[in-house]
Amino acid sequence: MQNDYRWRRDKDGLGVWEHRGKVSISGYGHSPVDRRWDGKAMDETVGAYSILACQKAMEDAGVTPDEVDGVICCDSHIAGASGGSASTWAPRPYFDAPYDSELGLTLVNSEWLVKTMGLKNVKFAPTGVPTIGEMVGMAAQAVGDGVCNTCLVIYPCGNLEGRYRRGGENSEDYARGARQWTVPWGNHGGNDFINIFPHNQYCLKYGGTHDDVFPFVQNQHRNGLMTPWGFNANNGIDMITREDYVSSRYILNPLRIWDCDRPVNTSTAYLFTTAERAKDMKSQPVYVLNHSQHSFSQRTTQPDLDEIEEWTDRAAARMYEGAGLGPSDVDIFNPYDGYSIMAQFFLEGFQWHGVKRGDAFAFYAGDISVEGPHPFSSSGGNLGNGRTRTAMYTDSIQQLRGTAGPRQVTVRAETALCAFTTPSSGGWLMLGKQPN
Amino acid sequence: MAELISFDIDGTLEVGDPPGCIDMEMVRKAKEKGYIIGSCSDRTVTNQKRIWSEQGIEVSFTVVKHQLESVKEAFEADCYYHIGDTNIDKQYADQAGFTFFLPEDSVPVFWD
Amino acid sequence: MPKIIPEADDLSKPFWDAVNERILRLQHCDSCDKLQYPPKSTCHICDSSDHLGWKDVEGRGHVATFIVIEDGRLNRRMPDQPYNLAMVTLDEDPTINFYSNLPGVQAYEVPVGSPVVVVFEEVAPGQLIHEWQVVA
Repeated sequence: MQNDYRWRRDKDGLGVWEHRGKVSISGYGHSPVDRRWDGKAMDETVGAYSILACQKAMEDAGVTPDEVDGVICCDSHIAGASGGSASTWAPRPYFDAPYDSELGLTLVNSEWLVKTMGLKNVKFAPTGVPTIGEMVGMAAQAVGDGVCNTCLVIYPCGNLEGRYRRGGENSEDYARGARQWTVPWGNHGGNDFINIFPHNQYCLKYGGTHDDVFPFVQNQHRNGLMTPWGFNANNGIDMITREDYVSSRYILNPLRIWDCDRPVNTSTAYLFTTAERAKDMKSQPVYVLNHSQHSFSQRTTQPDLDEIEEWTDRAAARMYEGAGLGPSDVDIFNPYDGYSIMAQFFLEGFQWHGVKRGDAFAFYAGDISVEGPHPFSSSGGNLGNGRTRTAMYTDSIQQLRGTAGPRQVTVRAETALCAFTTPSSGGWLMLGKQPN
Repeated sequence: MAELISFDIDGTLEVGDPPGCIDMEMVRKAKEKGYIIGSCSDRTVTNQKRIWSEQGIEVSFTVVKHQLESVKEAFEADCYYHIGDTNIDKQYADQAGFTFFLPEDSVPVFWD
Repeated sequence: MPKIIPEADDLSKPFWDAVNERILRLQHCDSCDKLQYPPKSTCHICDSSDHLGWKDVEGRGHVATFIVIEDGRLNRRMPDQPYNLAMVTLDEDPTINFYSNLPGVQAYEVPVGSPVVVVFEEVAPGQLIHEWQVVA
């Protein structure tokens, strides 16, 4: 039943979300963010870090383990089938239970967490859970529908030694399935490729060059350095200069190394509950105004600019319809920045602060700092914090609570739109300081 | 005969992330032996300079990874070597005409 | 270095069989009168498989844009780095595009907007792939 649960809002024309304002996020927790797991320290595995993140989220909400009745945990490797340099990152030397398999070391699932943390009252713990962009929607819908009332949402991100995603299928001589159409010519498959061609077309169509993205990249670094739990702030990463950026090497020319996020080993947890229960919890809740998902199929080998723009337009329309809001209602906007070049498509698609198609570079060149009138991507995203994929959500919660510290925006902060998503697939979450 | 060694940092030097097998004492010895030394890394030049300053080692160059050709242009030497731990180190070394060594393979060549 | 070898499946076999005969043969929906590549189980427009067949195309296109792969993740292609990866649109239907390494074109020196023609390159004994060559 749990894996058949129909929770998605992944179609156009669904109207305002029926549980708008009735679900809240009342807690969050981050583990340390390390560059990689060393394969030895048992308190630094994604399992240990997930437990820690859950404990912090529960502490933030003032919730005991016995009150938790839902656990939604992404149970797939962030690095997918290509793993690390050691092929699929497994098998490896195992340890005593509960670390006697990959579970707890490089993978986590709800069942492992429920058992290891002794969560006695969990009634909803699905498997085959998608990534956080959609997971937050599953949690919001589950709490709204009463499937569970106090739900932990956990997103672990693992990283091991070796160059990222150089193993597994990327080390093979054959290309199977969808890869037969891309890999023979060099496309290893990923949002670097998906987005860089439309980005090139963007520059041709609207003007500008790739390096016009730099102010956005710099701003992400700046915001990341103001995020106390993030990788950059804790690992001596310098503030990037224009010279650093334009002299950096290319990965997929014109995509530079600083346009790409840094894989890390970490875990994040959020505590979703009903707005009613949230009233009695420790920290100020933020309310879910809508969740939406999208999965658009590309018409040919490589998505082009027209498709990327169509997809992001549709995703925006879907989210705004469900939230009952429009572009001018969104105060905090935290789109995904795993590759810097994605953000401009989201910015323009959602028309945040009036930015229309072709306007992004000029917008970036203006004041997008958190102190200014257009505090774009106040979280610093992945580029500023490491590939946690969760900075967008945590910052949104903090901005609405007024607890973002040096990142706290000076403009109105009543609504926040955040996502880990790509233009083709994923999900968005709209949060509000008030339930209506 | 002038010889030049370029060091990658992460995965190569002990101060890197991950730490490599070449420690700072080895770097100092290389300099004492007369090698022209410097770093070639994905870390920013500012960051590289800070590392060397913290270690109290004066180096002749600090460049980003794809700029080995500029090192060759700046310094006349009979042999140019780059020590690094990844395929991309080898790629840029080959392109610039440097002899490439993995860190562990370089030890018997330069320090034994 | 030899390119990575595509492995045909039930859906793609007609395409790769044609490539191995040096023919560019794309799916075609007779109902929508629309070409489709890569092959799918249904028409991308009408979502039906009832009218999906195959049609040989002339194999002329244009270079829409390109990147240069300097640090890719595919082990087998690493010795080729840096190399071009162009997006080529099909003249018969510019909403269809292909990847190409543009044989004969130096890395970074891609003539965007140039016409190209399909050529076929061996990647394994008996296995060709379709490539695109700039028309002089």
